[in-house]
Amino acid sequence: MTPAVLAAPEAVASDAAGVEIPTHWYNLLADLPFPIPPDLPPRERAGGGAAFRPQVPLELVRQSLSKQPLVVIPEPIRELYALWRPTPLRRAARLEAALGTPARIYYKYEGVNVSGSHKLNTAVAQAYYYQRAGVKRLTTGTGAGQWGTALAVACHLFGLECKVYMVGTSYRQKPYRKVAMQMFGAQVASSPSPQTQAGRELLARDPDGHGNLALAIAEALEEALSRDDTRFCIGSGEPYSILHQTVMGEEARQQLAALGEQPDVVLGSLGAGSNFGGIAFPFLRGNLAGESSVRCVSVEPAACPKLTRGVYAYDYTDSSGITPLEKMYTLGHSFAPTDIHAGGLRYHACSKLISALRHHDLIEAVAYQQTEVFRSGLLFGQTEGIVPAPESAHAVHGAVVEALRAKEEGTSPAILICLSGHGYFDMSAYEAFMDGRLKDVQVTDEEIARSLAELPVVDE
Amino acid sequence: MLPDRDTVAEAVKRVLVVEARVNVPPQELRDDEPLNGDLLRINSLAFVGLIISLEEALDATFEDALFMNNEFRTVGDLVDVLHGEIAGAAGAA
Repeated sequence: MTPAVLAAPEAVASDAAGVEIPTHWYNLLADLPFPIPPDLPPRERAGGGAAFRPQVPLELVRQSLSKQPLVVIPEPIRELYALWRPTPLRRAARLEAALGTPARIYYKYEGVNVSGSHKLNTAVAQAYYYQRAGVKRLTTGTGAGQWGTALAVACHLFGLECKVYMVGTSYRQKPYRKVAMQMFGAQVASSPSPQTQAGRELLARDPDGHGNLALAIAEALEEALSRDDTRFCIGSGEPYSILHQTVMGEEARQQLAALGEQPDVVLGSLGAGSNFGGIAFPFLRGNLAGESSVRCVSVEPAACPKLTRGVYAYDYTDSSGITPLEKMYTLGHSFAPTDIHAGGLRYHACSKLISALRHHDLIEAVAYQQTEVFRSGLLFGQTEGIVPAPESAHAVHGAVVEALRAKEEGTSPAILICLSGHGYFDMSAYEAFMDGRLKDVQVTDEEIARSLAELPVVDE
Repeated sequence: MLPDRDTVAEAVKRVLVVEARVNVPPQELRDDEPLNGDLLRINSLAFVGLIISLEEALDATFEDALFMNNEFRTVGDLVDVLHGEIAGAAGAA
């Protein structure tokens, strides 16, 4: 691989209003008035007593356990952020007009970097810390491909090798995501793959298995554990990845303040939680301090409704059943979401941090079907000139629902959404929607009960 | 004063039984007990949280390279690496 050049820009960028890239990430854990339930050891003896190598750099975990609410963004990361930050914050005036709403809709657009989504905010930070820890090669699992692309870019920037297990459905639906990752030197495997035991076992049971994010993560972890030169990393869910994403909310807060605005409601789509947490946490900070009452609303697909129909319980973070147990809203680690086009949201559970907020009623959660989500995504593209990624279209639809409700009620709230990425790799999904081939998914209570029956039994 | 190996071992075992949530007196944990075996079940993902807890218990800050470049199988492996690091850091100071 061609060595990357880490050229420092002359100056850290600012936007037209003079808002600069934040100097700190916001650590919500430091401000929480309750503890997050501790992780529990795995139920099974997965390692058989064999030797192992640690997977995650201490500094990543240490920073997310800090008692300080503000964590300094190291200058090398901030200099790389300047390649695409500050990202635009715009008012969706033409969407408002199309809806005939008195609401003011603002969107924070994170699709302006080479990977096309917000995932690069934590990918760059993680690659920085892994490189400093002496790691040469990383593996990961990716759903729709945004995280895989972002990690491929970040690894290239820091001279690391990268191997990505991509959920098979997305691998086939979005072949150019694979090309984008390969452009930055990454190896890409379709999951389930014959390259790992977890993949082979699934293929033996179901040769046409389309896979899911939990399996892709399990395959990536298995490879990392089998090679001395490789470590595993993950794009969403862990407190440190949400911490890195708060650069979005911090920046948006400053940009709105420069406009004299304060949002009444903040919406983000919900996969494992880094997108939603990244935009919402800096606003929750004011709520926790009693200085504001911003509604923070997560938007998830009805096909994978963990916060709206899951349970708050200890579960595995992937399908392997060997990870430590985390307390979170989950549909059960064996829940296999139906194929939908928002592949990045097809994760059985939600970050323990976001889950705890939901458990304590500090955030709201809604779920929508994919046809209504695509209808709003298409409308956003037609009015605002940006095609949202299917994941981001969930937040757009959430804003549309809020704006139409405001119209009915005669109110004029300020609505902020995170438009986490563009949808230019997702044209087949928009085509399916326009052709009427996109179907809604009805998840039955029985399906959820079946997977929840496999939750590990723990003594809390 | 620089902690000797026994002091480090005592701290490691005290933290281990808490992190692994096992009902065993720390002093009964043997040095050759596997970290990821029938009793402790500390795997590579849980290990990092364990080290952070040990930093607090030992009032020390450990470098990533120390762990990323080492394999760990038993309680004794971890004690040896931490004791070596603490002693080395004190010698260099």
